[in-house]
Amino acid sequence: MDISFALTGKGYVIVAADTTAARSIVKMKVDEDKIKVLSPHLLMAFSGEPGDTVQFAEYIERNIRLYQIRNTYALRPPSAASWIRRALADSLRSRRPYSVNLLVGGYDTSTHTPHLYWVDYLGTMSEVPFAAHGYGAYFALSLLDRYHDPEASLEDGLATLRRCLDEVAKRLVVTPEKYKVKVVDKDGVREVEI
Amino acid sequence: MSDRIYLGLPGLATDVTTLKEVFRYRVNMYTIKEEREIEPETFAHLVSSTLYEKRFGPYFIEPVMAGLEKTPSGAYKPFIAATDLIGCLNFAKDFVVAGTASTKLYGVAEGLWEPDLEPEDLFETCAQTLLNAVDRDAYSGWGAEVHLITKDKVIKRTLKGRMD
Amino acid sequence: MASAEGGAYSYSLTVFSPSGKLVQIEHALAAVSSGTTSLGIKASNGIVIATEKKSSSILIDDSMIDKVSVICPNIGIVYSGMGPDFRVLVAKARKSAQAYWKVYGEYPPTKVLTQEIATIMQQATHSGGVRPYGVSLLVAGWDITRGPCLYQVDPSGSYWAWKASAIGKNMVNAKTFLEKRYNDDISLEDAIHTALLTLKEGFEGHMTEKTIDIGIVTVPSQAELEAGKIEGTGRVKPTFRKLSEEEVRDYLAM
Repeated sequence: MDISFALTGKGYVIVAADTTAARSIVKMKVDEDKIKVLSPHLLMAFSGEPGDTVQFAEYIERNIRLYQIRNTYALRPPSAASWIRRALADSLRSRRPYSVNLLVGGYDTSTHTPHLYWVDYLGTMSEVPFAAHGYGAYFALSLLDRYHDPEASLEDGLATLRRCLDEVAKRLVVTPEKYKVKVVDKDGVREVEI
Repeated sequence: MSDRIYLGLPGLATDVTTLKEVFRYRVNMYTIKEEREIEPETFAHLVSSTLYEKRFGPYFIEPVMAGLEKTPSGAYKPFIAATDLIGCLNFAKDFVVAGTASTKLYGVAEGLWEPDLEPEDLFETCAQTLLNAVDRDAYSGWGAEVHLITKDKVIKRTLKGRMD
Repeated sequence: MASAEGGAYSYSLTVFSPSGKLVQIEHALAAVSSGTTSLGIKASNGIVIATEKKSSSILIDDSMIDKVSVICPNIGIVYSGMGPDFRVLVAKARKSAQAYWKVYGEYPPTKVLTQEIATIMQQATHSGGVRPYGVSLLVAGWDITRGPCLYQVDPSGSYWAWKASAIGKNMVNAKTFLEKRYNDDISLEDAIHTALLTLKEGFEGHMTEKTIDIGIVTVPSQAELEAGKIEGTGRVKPTFRKLSEEEVRDYLAM
């Protein structure tokens, strides 16, 4: 039931995910953070099988951190995404694979470009201008097809995200009440209210 | 894979990426160790053995390969090959096909292909085969990409197809 | 406890002596130097490798002794030093060649196989619980990229490409002899004769087809190359072969 969105704009990536933690039909928590800050310029929204999600996200988080400690600098988004994908692809053919879908958004401080990767639990990865996972995808992708602008300002980007969230609120049967929205740009990662 | 070897990897998207990375690694190691470029036929064997390594938990990919092989006299000779998902090699003289539209591709290619086509005629045959087969297939489409490999240059053409 | 010449540093292979030597490797080279003479000569159209095979008793069936070994259809090797160690290396080299064939559908180039053997020999110089191989090898082969190649591999794992080389008991004399005799456009036939002459220099006893072993690398003709694999068998024509006793006898008679 997790819903996550992400979109790129002029020099930034916005990543949004709902904050509900549910078990069966029961809401257990409404302030769950499903977006990990992997490094100063890298975000990862994760969704999927409860349990797997947090385990996998923490595994990634710690390994990305380890790389940073060992090498004194962080992996750039394309390399980080590639490594994360490989972790999922290897897991797919293990005895018990992780069922985790990801949106990896980052800002490359060397080339000054935002990057967004859509990754599913099979290890399928593609670099995209906007992306979504979960039921939200059914509503948001068409909207994003229409309204996404890679050159949009942060305000316009957030407005486009707003459209997606509103559409989900309007049309989806069970709709999450809250979203956490994080932005990554040249200044790093920050949370924004929407 | 190299200036004169091309590899198509139709199948499960995650395995497309993984295998692309695996072959890049193995071809690079070969080039460094042997101090020479890998020949298409050798590469085909490499593809085959790589896939067979995972005989009982295969990658869901059916590769097609095309390239120019150097003959002992120094000339270049066209080479094509394909394998199934566990690496059974098929060195064909005429054409190789793979993917969700393979059944249709066989039919169209069988009808259009003829021996000793000139580069541009070969391109046309290949493009028409692909486009028409793909139009009859529900799972593939959204245009096509054709690489025409000749000894002096490789021409890449992006073809428009039905967007449904 | 430690031997007189090696001192405290001959206990373990992994310990350098203060002068920077690994004495066990030097001992291995000494074992090679006391072994029978082997040599190899690269000709313009092939390579010859040859060795003497002496037997300690007339009762030994010397037709059954193999000192030149075929590794794969395009590569053969000969040794000086310890026979049993050589046999182990031959087995490993053959296995490596077959493993290469399984992956690439063709046999390894001479250089690649030589590197493979050299790696095995090098590992024996810094692995625990083992001693270095007591052999030097001459590896002769042909491949499409480099043509005919002759390599020497030592117990340390070092290897070099030679135009002509000798290893074993009379290597110094044999090399001097080869230096005088060698020229770049020598033919395979002449090379075989030079090889026999060189061997004869330091030969103890009578040189017959029973007491020498010869292997040759031939270069395939352009037509043979174009033809590719032999019809029916699907194999390429071998470029390395051992000379039969009859062939050796004929060369000795000439």
